[in-house]
Amino acid sequence: MVLTMERCVATASSLASSAGNERIFILLTRRVIVRPARSALALAALLFLSAPAFAQDTPVAGGTLIYLEQQAHTILYPPAGGFYPNGGVLNQITDKLTWQNPETLAIEPWIAESWEVNADATEYTFKIRPGVTFSDGTPLDAAAVAANYDTFGLGNKDLKQPVSEVLNNYERSEVIDPLTVKFFFKAPSPGFLQGTSVIGSGLVAASTLALPLDQLGDATKIIGSGPFVVTSEVIGRELNLTARADYDWAAPGFEHQGRAHLDAIKYLITPEDSVRIGGLLAGQADVIRQVQAYDEPQVEAAGFQIFAPPTRGVNNSVVFRPDNPLVADVRVRQALLHATNAAEIVATLFSENYPQASSIIASTALGYVDLSDKLTFDPALSAKLFDEAGWTIGPNGLRQKDGVELILSAYESLPQPQNKETLQLVAQQWLQIGVKLEVLAGDSGSRTVDDLDPLKTPVSPAMVGRADVDVIKSQYYPKNRDVLRQLGGGSDKVKSFVDDKLNGLLEALTSEPDTAKRLAIAGEVQAYVLDQAYAIPIFEEPQAFAAAPYVHGLAFEAVGRPRFYDVWVAR
Amino acid sequence: MQRYVFSRIGQALLVLWLAFTVSFVLLQALPGDAVLIKFLSPELGLSPAQIAEIQAAYGSDTPVILQYFAAIANFVTGNFGYSVHAGVPVSQLLAANLPQTLRLATLGLTLALAIAVALAFLSTLTRFAFLRNALQALPALFISVPTFWLGIMLIQVFSFRLRLIPVINPSELQGLILPTITLAIPISAPLAQILMRNIDAALTQSYVEVARAKGASPAFVLWHHVARNAVLPTLTIAGILLGELLAGAVVTETVFGLNGIGGLTEQAVRSQDTAVLQAIVVLSAVVFVIANLVVDLLYPLFDPRLRTRQEVLA
Amino acid sequence: MTTIEPTLSLNTHQAARPRGHAQFRRIVRRVQPGLLLSIAVIAIVVLWAIAPGVFATQNPVLGVPVDKLQPPSALHLLGTDALGRDLFARIVHGAVHSLTGAFVAVGVGLVVGTALGVIAGSSRGFVEAAIMRLADVLLSIPALLLMLSIIILLGFGTVNAAIAVGATSIASFARLARSEVVRVRRSDYVEAAFGSGGTFAGVLWRHVLPNSLTSVIAFAALQFGSAILAISTLGFLGYGAPPPTPEWGLLIAEGRNYISTAWWLTTAPGIVVVIVVLAANRISQGLGGHGR
Repeated sequence: MVLTMERCVATASSLASSAGNERIFILLTRRVIVRPARSALALAALLFLSAPAFAQDTPVAGGTLIYLEQQAHTILYPPAGGFYPNGGVLNQITDKLTWQNPETLAIEPWIAESWEVNADATEYTFKIRPGVTFSDGTPLDAAAVAANYDTFGLGNKDLKQPVSEVLNNYERSEVIDPLTVKFFFKAPSPGFLQGTSVIGSGLVAASTLALPLDQLGDATKIIGSGPFVVTSEVIGRELNLTARADYDWAAPGFEHQGRAHLDAIKYLITPEDSVRIGGLLAGQADVIRQVQAYDEPQVEAAGFQIFAPPTRGVNNSVVFRPDNPLVADVRVRQALLHATNAAEIVATLFSENYPQASSIIASTALGYVDLSDKLTFDPALSAKLFDEAGWTIGPNGLRQKDGVELILSAYESLPQPQNKETLQLVAQQWLQIGVKLEVLAGDSGSRTVDDLDPLKTPVSPAMVGRADVDVIKSQYYPKNRDVLRQLGGGSDKVKSFVDDKLNGLLEALTSEPDTAKRLAIAGEVQAYVLDQAYAIPIFEEPQAFAAAPYVHGLAFEAVGRPRFYDVWVAR
Repeated sequence: MQRYVFSRIGQALLVLWLAFTVSFVLLQALPGDAVLIKFLSPELGLSPAQIAEIQAAYGSDTPVILQYFAAIANFVTGNFGYSVHAGVPVSQLLAANLPQTLRLATLGLTLALAIAVALAFLSTLTRFAFLRNALQALPALFISVPTFWLGIMLIQVFSFRLRLIPVINPSELQGLILPTITLAIPISAPLAQILMRNIDAALTQSYVEVARAKGASPAFVLWHHVARNAVLPTLTIAGILLGELLAGAVVTETVFGLNGIGGLTEQAVRSQDTAVLQAIVVLSAVVFVIANLVVDLLYPLFDPRLRTRQEVLA
Repeated sequence: MTTIEPTLSLNTHQAARPRGHAQFRRIVRRVQPGLLLSIAVIAIVVLWAIAPGVFATQNPVLGVPVDKLQPPSALHLLGTDALGRDLFARIVHGAVHSLTGAFVAVGVGLVVGTALGVIAGSSRGFVEAAIMRLADVLLSIPALLLMLSIIILLGFGTVNAAIAVGATSIASFARLARSEVVRVRRSDYVEAAFGSGGTFAGVLWRHVLPNSLTSVIAFAALQFGSAILAISTLGFLGYGAPPPTPEWGLLIAEGRNYISTAWWLTTAPGIVVVIVVLAANRISQGLGGHGR
């Protein structure tokens, strides 16, 4: 370990000397690590107070930012913005009705100047800011907003556009006047206001909404009202964004108003981890996404900045598919939960930017309740639960019952950080109490098909980010992501498993208009999922970015997608 | 001769059709489909019911045999279809990727030939045994290193440590240097080996002995008598390798973040983008068939001694 | 993957070479130290595959998490990986996977390809045309596409990856074997054997096969090295065996992300593969009997 550190320091100093005096000076300035803190407020303080530490000078206008992205975007239909490469593009080219302040998680005005909500959260009225236009010149008015939400809330079968996962119970829109729009809901939809601020609710022009879903992979066809416009694209490799000179409708909460500081942003798809990190440290790139925890020391040693904004949603976990008889018994799941040493996983593979989980949702998420006493690592308890459930250690060291050995399997999830290593470590921990976890490798097709079948994948890694308690429903509800694979969900392979109590709680969660009651239900769901041991949360997943020391003003929306609007570079 | 030409062209068309059909069957047999893979990805956050809607909209429920005939009809009329994964027409994808790959492959092959010729001639001409042994061992070393490892090491050394050539956002010329070297080194190895062996064989021929007996210098003999005979088969092999280069460039493209047919193929397999893959198969089969046809038809004209080549390479 | 065709045209030229001379040179080379060294390398690796526990005592699958990413030391000869597993143990225990993979890959190409080639070369007309057109079809579908599709169909794993790699060399083996059979068939002694009343199968077995297979076997030894590299490339593209299989190609591919923080993870298995492939190449030259 000592040797490794020496190597890193040596590398850093050689980098610095070859880059001249300027970088040595920068090396001395304070580095910024943003780390999800125990409370949203403390985190926000870190995030936003540390940014101005760099802003000693006045912002410099102009310049092109080189941004290295790990994966190419897929479709830029706004509701598909949850996928990080998609969101990273959409966040620059679209604006939203409202802005969720990452400091307070409060909803603030943006394209909507003000709004009214009726008592049972079934009617929302928004006043639209005047003078906003899309980059094709068409106005962003009440009619345009209505058209967007009708598509996102109801979908469009002819154009294959699906319903947005953040919009629940949507019924219709009504244009009251050119700058006033009203939305109606079939049932209370208290999460809607926050839903208007998320990446999946970016507003696009009528010409974009008129395109079938399969043509929305072409970024140049996505017309938004955002501070940047896509000017050219090499599919799968490169994306060029330029600033809109007439942009003048930033959310009042942003660091500055008017047009973006930068002239342009160049997105380069660079799948190799070593090339992204090396390119950044060698001064060939300015900002990169997806920095692995083991690369953090060399980035910091070179005086570069690491940003790890939290995703504030469901923690990086492994979930069970109780339809599979091996994990149908709650005692078996509980035993596996207590056999999992999350602290060891975090210490071995991750850094302080990846806090150990203390509930199924992140400590920075809305509605979080600290349930760490339910998540203890306790091999003795685990063994006791297994024995009670009738799974005893067989001659080869594996637990067995009625001649069946306890052998589980899970596919690794490619987008999650070091998931293959995480699962191998989980497997190693479970083996100590006599359970074998096979980590599967497979192509996307087999993975997708097998993942629907609880018999083939009794265990699965899962996480999702969103700064609203609705996220719990997104994850577990059978009509949404259905991670537990319930009967009546998306999989026809499920034979019988269904948890009506859980589903009832989830439905109540998304339709309870009273905030205090909603948060109480959220706490109840968290406790219920852990009591049933449906999921073993491991750590709170951040999105890790690294930036050169001369990059200022890099900000993130509430769920960790970068916003380049405030960025300026002083090389 | 005319009958031979027509029969060869007929066989070429047969190979083309078979390649199309075999790959169609192969791709149909893969688990899952492009729509599932693209839209069931949990990051997109679509519900199962929504996926089912999209699948129905794409008409993935059409009988396979009808899809096959529709695909054939499309290809015959020059319509390559639509990429589900990228959301753009396949022809647009090919236009964005093919020229890059052709350029890289041509440069790589040229450099590989240059390296091979240099190695072979130097090792033949050098007077020092240790140098000859070292040069002759190089090709074996070249093919024992994984291409991706070579590419990553070249980037680490020349771009990140020595900072000679940027790999991120380079100028067009700079951007070709390291990928070309990465591609050329493993390809140069078999070429150098063949060239060395052929020179070795040619040096034992009687006309070379005669030239030597007349007092010609080794370099003169090499250039005037041996090279011509040794280079011809090497060029033939190089032609065959070019086809392999097109697909083999995938590793180089991934490491350097370049666009190209190799990367497109890999991505299309990953996302089971059948339309893209069929277009690539047809493209590659056309190149292969034409190259073979040309070689088979022209070879006897150039070298009367090898009239029997048609039999050998059939 | 790239060393496929060379020997093919080579042998049509080599046929003109005086045989006695080649025999003599072959015997001289047999005692060369390079060849002996190469055989020793392969022998050691085979022993690793047979009895890995004798050479490496540490557990290749279960790590000690607190010992993660240790540089090479007396305790861990080649360092440890991100889960604290001893890299030397993983390489030694991985030999069986890599060797099996290489043998299967070469075996598939050699057996299927040679069989097709010999059948094509010894029959004429429709059968020959059909087999050679089949080879054309295999060659005209991009090797990458063929390999990846086969792996997806068979499932991920070293042996399946090897079958996929082998499938892409079937056509080359078939072409090579056929051209060799055609060459030998036309030689005087085979004509003579036919002339003296030998049956077709008899002549094929006694005269044609032994004489055609020399270069096929040499080509197979050459492919052995290429197969290890091809499996490694598949690991790089994400089509490697499921964890925790310590297959060499996968070790190189997975270690590459640590290149600037833990260089030994990709370098050590890389050097092992280079040495083994070099040795296989050297042996291939010895078998082929041509070269320097």
